[in-house]
Amino acid sequence: MFDRDRLLLIVRRLAICIVLLVALAPVVWLFSIAYKPTRDIFASPPTFLFTPTLENFESVFRYFKLGALLESSLIIAIGSTALSLLLGAPAGYALARSESPRAIWLAYFFLIIRTVPPIATLIPFYLLMRDIGLLGTWWAVIILNTALNSAFVVWMMFSFFRTAPVSIEEAARTDGCTDFGAFFRIALPTVVPGLIASAIFCVMFSWNDFLYAMFLTKADTKTISVALLSAYGTKDISWGTLGALAHFSTLPIVAMMILLNRYFVQGLTQGVH
Amino acid sequence: MRPYEPHVSVASRDGATTDDAALAAGWSYVRRRQIFLGAMAAPALIYVLAVAVGPMVQGFLYSFDNYNLIRPGSRHFVGLDNYLALWRDPTARRAVINTFAFTFGAVTLEFVLGLGVALLLWRDDWFNRVALGLLLIPATVTPLVVGLIFKALLSPEYGMLGYPLAELGLSSPRGLLADPQYALATLVAIDAWEWTPLMALILLAGLKTLPADILEAAAVDGANGPQRFWLMVLPLLMPTVFLALILRMMDAFRVFDIIFVTTSGGPADATNTLMIYGVKQGLEFFNIGVASAVSTLIVVCILVMAAVFIAVLKPGRNRYV
Repeated sequence: MFDRDRLLLIVRRLAICIVLLVALAPVVWLFSIAYKPTRDIFASPPTFLFTPTLENFESVFRYFKLGALLESSLIIAIGSTALSLLLGAPAGYALARSESPRAIWLAYFFLIIRTVPPIATLIPFYLLMRDIGLLGTWWAVIILNTALNSAFVVWMMFSFFRTAPVSIEEAARTDGCTDFGAFFRIALPTVVPGLIASAIFCVMFSWNDFLYAMFLTKADTKTISVALLSAYGTKDISWGTLGALAHFSTLPIVAMMILLNRYFVQGLTQGVH
Repeated sequence: MRPYEPHVSVASRDGATTDDAALAAGWSYVRRRQIFLGAMAAPALIYVLAVAVGPMVQGFLYSFDNYNLIRPGSRHFVGLDNYLALWRDPTARRAVINTFAFTFGAVTLEFVLGLGVALLLWRDDWFNRVALGLLLIPATVTPLVVGLIFKALLSPEYGMLGYPLAELGLSSPRGLLADPQYALATLVAIDAWEWTPLMALILLAGLKTLPADILEAAAVDGANGPQRFWLMVLPLLMPTVFLALILRMMDAFRVFDIIFVTTSGGPADATNTLMIYGVKQGLEFFNIGVASAVSTLIVVCILVMAAVFIAVLKPGRNRYV
């Protein structure tokens, strides 16, 4: 007799493969059009077969100062991530270790800050930056991104620290370790996965953001995601250029997620539960 | 270094503390610990208050002013006029309806699909772990790029999806995104493509915390698949379901990127949401007063959802999660 469980397993795997196909096909398409000649991209009806070309990458280098764009995106992502971890990790620890009933409400406050719509802070912040002369600098974007990212880090580190054992810290303090030493040398090393997960999310949020960067940067400080939008807006530039540009804007984040998948999944799960 | 002293200073009747040693040292152990924790939390709290809450309050105040950056000199207090203008403006009313319709549609679709995917991936083996990793890729693609990908794919002239749909007469000749009747539904589908994996991941994490012995006992007692799902799995999963729904609702409510690059609110306001409307009012027409009223409206809606979220989160944490 043919095993019924085995049949069920095959059906499940097939279903998962179909889900994966739907999820990944558009991404594969995006990267593949980078190698497609412009004529074939606009072919009607659309064609699947084409002779690969690198002309789209050439036009990326012709129309965009790729180095400057990547530099802006990197500086903003790294600056905001470092600041957010520096502010968020100690606060998450303090809230997790505090015995005050108000601590949990403060943690919720930080969680809600992350869900505030960008427009609510963007317009007043834009006017403020204009008045103090920071509009158009990397700082403007870093400062605003850090506000939302650090709030998110507080919440995430709060949930990680809460599941970390307290007894070792207490033992260390009994043996004469300072409060800060107990945090820095004992507690922090046990939540390294949480720090990595927080960093992944901060980098992703900052790198993928375009609304803040679009209004707070100017021509020589704009990020690669802002350039993506202008790539699409210009007549000379085709979808192929966009696909080529996506190799630099989207591929790094996707690669980071695949490489650090374990931390990504753990962070998403821990942040909610 | 001070040894660990777990005792608490108690104020005696005459108001002096009984902990003379602590008094001599300045503060009691507990007080010092509180100050340390406070100092650790203070920088983040001050930063967030100054850079996030401050501008929000400022925006709230702007919402009562007639304030246009093109005529900054004419700024004056108008009370609730901006809110009344929103109420009277059919475009704004349409944006409110669209925002709720989008949120409801996207979250429902993502929940149904996400639950299906989570159930498929429930068994913990290498195949499912690899599948989950790959499945999360859409959530990491820049939302802006997601919008552009689907704009190209849905083009009726050269799009891999749009061309066959238009040829078969399943969409209007101008494509789904240019059709006022289907544009919003199409955006819901795009949002579902991007965020269903995240929904599935959250639900899967909930599924993995379910007590395996109870489910096995039910199977041994002869409960079939659908019975186990409806009578055991779903009720036990409820706290996680609520969390996932509200979390996605708060995100879907402020959708911006994919709409901005695909339809920018059109055709004929069919996909105009509150975020699109607010950004256009504020940063295109420089109508700060009206834009601030819109953002206040969005914040209030999200705060209501957040309040529900927290109410669900608290009991859920102790019972199942």
